[in-house]
Amino acid sequence: MSTQQTDRDRDDKALAGEYVLGLLEGEAKAAVERRIASDAGFAREVEGWRARFAAFDDATPPQAASDALWSKIEAGMPARAQSAASATPRLRFWDSVPALRASIYGFAALVMVLGVALGVAVQKAIQQPVMIAVLLDGNRAGAVVHTFADGRSVLLPLTAMHVPDGKALEVWTLPSRERGPVSVGLMNQARTLQLQLKDLPKPSTDQLFEITLEPATGSPIGRPTGPVLFKGNTALAL
Amino acid sequence: MTVQPSQDGAIEAQLAAAIARCAGGERSALRVIYDIEAGRMAGVARRMLRRQDLAEEAVQDTFMRVWRAARTFDPQKGAARSWIYAILRNCTLSILRDEGRFSPEEEKSEDAAPVTESALTLLPESNALRRCLEQLDEQPRSAVVLAYVHGLSHGELAGRLGVPLGTVKSWVRRSLVSLQECMG
Repeated sequence: MSTQQTDRDRDDKALAGEYVLGLLEGEAKAAVERRIASDAGFAREVEGWRARFAAFDDATPPQAASDALWSKIEAGMPARAQSAASATPRLRFWDSVPALRASIYGFAALVMVLGVALGVAVQKAIQQPVMIAVLLDGNRAGAVVHTFADGRSVLLPLTAMHVPDGKALEVWTLPSRERGPVSVGLMNQARTLQLQLKDLPKPSTDQLFEITLEPATGSPIGRPTGPVLFKGNTALAL
Repeated sequence: MTVQPSQDGAIEAQLAAAIARCAGGERSALRVIYDIEAGRMAGVARRMLRRQDLAEEAVQDTFMRVWRAARTFDPQKGAARSWIYAILRNCTLSILRDEGRFSPEEEKSEDAAPVTESALTLLPESNALRRCLEQLDEQPRSAVVLAYVHGLSHGELAGRLGVPLGTVKSWVRRSLVSLQECMG
């Protein structure tokens, strides 16, 4: 093995360790998570670090785990088993995509106005987005999703969103009809959010994004269960 | 790791079977995991979050994610227990890193050295991690231990150890390389 390879190998091992320590944030963390999914050797390094540091967790004195805590967990579980739920994916909303697309074209002018209004936010994100989705509620714009050339996607809220106690806002996308909706983010209030698209192909044009109201820990079945607050499709940024 | 291998193996098998049953939608299987691990998980979350309410929230989040993600667990890629604790660590760190939830004056004061020492002495003297950590210089050792045991970020480590961010980052990386070589 060459010196260069040894160095790279060593860097990878340290990177995997930093990830397990929880020292990576933002894009660095997302990049490592993508790599775990695609690079079995690297995933083994991560697993190795988890095993090495597990001694600290094993040595930590346990606490009483109450029945009350279990009740809360149980209350958050879906009434029906998730396998049964996933056999009948919800199609009602996703079937309305053509109508939604038409409404998006109708709001092209709004997109341009928003483009100006969002100039500051765009600059903050350093790069120009290659795609933008405006998420609407009827004719009101609630948020935009910016997708950058490297596949990174950020949701920027444009309006306050009321989130009742015990609820959260969950962001979904539809990479393909076959795959169905995939959760890409969860937040307890409207805020700028890096979307977790690491296991998905890079967003394409006309890809649907939506925000639904879900239990605080997110939809228990991995599919939207609550009301759709805002939705919209990606379009190429000019 | 500190448990006898035979007991370790039995627990691992029970957890792996329970996760598989969760994937099939059996609610009672999640309770099996709860009965085996929730106490330890609450202890780990409390160690990092220092607040009982937040620790319980982390454990609750973890069980919801275990339930939802059970079908993605692949025993070829790692142990069941390790998978559960990785989820716990993610949930705990995301609460810890949620800036709105911790006031800046919380948990700043303690000296790094005694906190590191008391974490290390929890490990049995013969433990490989402990032996290898003890071979590191004091401050780099503190950086690694405080990051893992109490979930400190690079910035918090720099503040606690009174050195620039770049120094902390290079200490951590060098320490990880040494640890890896020492532990194999």
